[in-house]
Amino acid sequence: MNKYINLYLLEYSINSLLRQKYKNIFITTILTFLIFILSSMFFITSSIKNELQFSVESLPEITVQKLISGKHYDIEVDRVNEILSITGVNDATARVWGYYYFVNAGVNFTLVGIEQFEKQYKDSLQNLVDSSKGFDESNAYIGQGVKEIMRKNYFKEYFNFILPDGSLKKINIGGTFKSDTNLESNDVIVLSKENMRSIYGMSEEYATDIVVKVANPDEVATVAAKIKLLYPDTRVITKNDLKVSYQNIFDYKSGVFLALFIVSLFTFFIIVFDKASGLSSSERKEIGVLKAIGWSLDDVLKEKFYEGALISVFAYLLGVFLALGFVYGFGAPLLRDIFSGYSELKTAFELPFVLDVQTMVLVFFLSVPIYIASIIIPSWRVASMDADEVMR
Amino acid sequence: MIEFKNINKSYKLGKNNTVAALKDININIKEGSVVVLKGSSGSGKSSILSLVSAISKPTSGEVIVDNKQISKLSDRFASEYRLNNIGIVFQKYNLVEDISVEQNVILPLIPKNLDSDLVESKVDTALDMFGIKHYKNSTVKNLSGGEQQRVAIARAYINEPKIIIADEPTANLDEKLSLDFIEIIKDLKKQNKTVIIATHDPLFFNLDIVDKYIEMKNGSII
Amino acid sequence: MILSPEILTIYILNFLFFVFGLIALNLSVKIYLKYDKNSSEPIQYTLERQSYLASTIIKYIFIVKVPLFLFFIFTLDKLSNVLSGAMCGAGVLDATDYGTMLITLKVLNIYLFALWLVLNTEDVKHENQPYIKIKFALFIVLFALFLSEILIESYTFYNFEIDKLVSCCGTLYSSTSDSIVSNIFAIDNKILVSIFYANFALITFAYVFKSKYMYAISNLLFIVVSIVSLIMFFGTYIYELPSHHCPFCYLQSDYYYVGYLLYALLFMGTFNGIMVLFKDDLFKLSLISNLLFVILVSGYVVVYFLKNGVFL
Repeated sequence: MNKYINLYLLEYSINSLLRQKYKNIFITTILTFLIFILSSMFFITSSIKNELQFSVESLPEITVQKLISGKHYDIEVDRVNEILSITGVNDATARVWGYYYFVNAGVNFTLVGIEQFEKQYKDSLQNLVDSSKGFDESNAYIGQGVKEIMRKNYFKEYFNFILPDGSLKKINIGGTFKSDTNLESNDVIVLSKENMRSIYGMSEEYATDIVVKVANPDEVATVAAKIKLLYPDTRVITKNDLKVSYQNIFDYKSGVFLALFIVSLFTFFIIVFDKASGLSSSERKEIGVLKAIGWSLDDVLKEKFYEGALISVFAYLLGVFLALGFVYGFGAPLLRDIFSGYSELKTAFELPFVLDVQTMVLVFFLSVPIYIASIIIPSWRVASMDADEVMR
Repeated sequence: MIEFKNINKSYKLGKNNTVAALKDININIKEGSVVVLKGSSGSGKSSILSLVSAISKPTSGEVIVDNKQISKLSDRFASEYRLNNIGIVFQKYNLVEDISVEQNVILPLIPKNLDSDLVESKVDTALDMFGIKHYKNSTVKNLSGGEQQRVAIARAYINEPKIIIADEPTANLDEKLSLDFIEIIKDLKKQNKTVIIATHDPLFFNLDIVDKYIEMKNGSII
Repeated sequence: MILSPEILTIYILNFLFFVFGLIALNLSVKIYLKYDKNSSEPIQYTLERQSYLASTIIKYIFIVKVPLFLFFIFTLDKLSNVLSGAMCGAGVLDATDYGTMLITLKVLNIYLFALWLVLNTEDVKHENQPYIKIKFALFIVLFALFLSEILIESYTFYNFEIDKLVSCCGTLYSSTSDSIVSNIFAIDNKILVSIFYANFALITFAYVFKSKYMYAISNLLFIVVSIVSLIMFFGTYIYELPSHHCPFCYLQSDYYYVGYLLYALLFMGTFNGIMVLFKDDLFKLSLISNLLFVILVSGYVVVYFLKNGVFL
């Protein structure tokens, strides 16, 4: 038999839990619920964070934006050539992209403009251009989410864009646009740069921003500094900056959530403390009998910890399991809006499945040790009770 | 061999009110003897039982069992002493009613964390000895009073202690069952167990198996 | 300051430890001052029962603290993504003034907590509780150390600057730079490796002659010698890079988390090695763990030599 786990004591503990059914179901339910909320929240953030990090990964190393009075303006296309002449720069592309508000559905689409024969800055776009059907400059290629919304509004073969002057521009839908991550392509419409400029009323000398590829990752910082020096009116963002800021934003969001959650944890601690302290007379008698027949204080304590471990580990597993189902099975209704934040404007997307072990460890630390801590003192009080009252 | 030397025991009730439960008690009990403690309730019988089993400690004096001072044992060693040397049959049996006979009888074995084979054989021996083997898996609350008492005796016996204590064992039994209990005492005596019975049941007052009667009144031996 | 859920979790648990530690401290002081094993006054029995509460709390803190320590290292690794310049936990610790002190204190406290537990187990086995005063006196000291660990940890996390450029582990532990740590490491590798194997030989020698004191002292020495030679010599073979001196990087997945195994073996070996002072039957476990540690680190050197035909 195992030296470390006393199976008969375990059996006794399980029976003892079952005998106090209502009290224990009550505590287990609350604990499970807390673990469920906490892990759902962490699962959602880690899922979104992962998706974002992944799409950042596919971006070029540096993005250059023009700023006037702190606001983002269109940048001159001919700056591309200047940037290309900086040593270390592999490639620079002027991007034309933006949002398009589709009034009928009340959602924002992301429009991305490309030219068929230039080198694409993203693999997903390159795949589109290289695909067997090819890229037809007069067509639009739409993401899965966009496709569904358009279908609901009876746009199946073409779509009418409203131009700045109020006239309509009809563009045929050439196919779907796919990428590795849902979040990246879901709300995207890929068009030719020419169509884009006419939709936005933008002149040919301008682009939205410039993306720069640098081959050697160690040189990124130097190249970024050079660009900044060359064009003081720009904001130069490196891929690493983006990653760090995503990490920080999501850490901060879940940090704030957790900070608010501390109150619930504390309340739970008090409830358990209270429930574990209040013993019925039959429970008191039972402990007295156990001590009278030779159980030591340590044995009673051990029994109480077996009970605590059973409850908290069970609640932990159940809570995490429910959260996995809720987040990845049902797409976390209600809760995920807190974290995605722009669901009203952006088309819906699926939360990709990421089995985040670190999150599970984190939730474990926030549940099991706290539960065990809350029963230490009540259990000791019970265990150190005098046995002699059962003899009277 | 159990020895009480000048034992006094008092309880505190409130601040300046102490009640003397035992006054200057001296007792000698030989190994393998059957002793009956007589006296009305409140006379101090139960206090003597809890001192023998190291459940409580005397206010002054010494309790010596097999040359060992048990009145000064720490909590941990008092438990260990109780586990290995004492079997208690409580007045109201004090069984855990919602679990099976087997699970009740096992209780004193749990702290020892023994092999399951050993546990099984011990349980079977004990249940067999007291004729309740067929109830092994029954829930205690479905048993009759006499059967419950047998479970309680089996539980007291399972660790094969030298001393078995019974507190008012026949208070809830009819005459036939009480006589059965006396038969069990005879068996235990044959196995050289020391048996201490606290009772005011006249049935015990003229038995040839009893080696010693101790009559108590107001905390003293008469 | 970084408000990440990992750091908050550590804060929450630290707070819990602090509150429960205070209760245990209060009981320890009471028991230390008033416990008298010859007296049989009722207060002695109360104290005895309270000693169970104190030891339960201390056990609890230790049991949660060990995995939390691993979680702490993991968190540092994660934070190294956020801090520019840091490649692993070492760089993150460098980001604050007391990083090195914090990690030293943490390791020391784990040793002391484990010592306390062994003392406690031995103590309650005997009827007269020979170590009861020593163990509670030890806890009073331990609590002071533990409290400083918590305070330094909070201070460290509070002062993390995301924008601050920190050193990578490579520069931190190299003998060419002039950081304080580096000076200790400016010992010749040949001497260092000789000391390392000599120390292990001494341990084996003490084992053969069952000399408790020599065994314990040589193990105490072995903690420091091993860590220094890991950083200076053996680590470079794990990384297969002569210039990479870092006690953290091999905790990462790139090196199959071998660091956790190394440190676990070293802890098991040296801790049990010191504990032979109180318990004789630990000799074997200690020697086996130390031996496995030595074999493992030497194995990296041998394998490197077999693969490449040269030493670094």
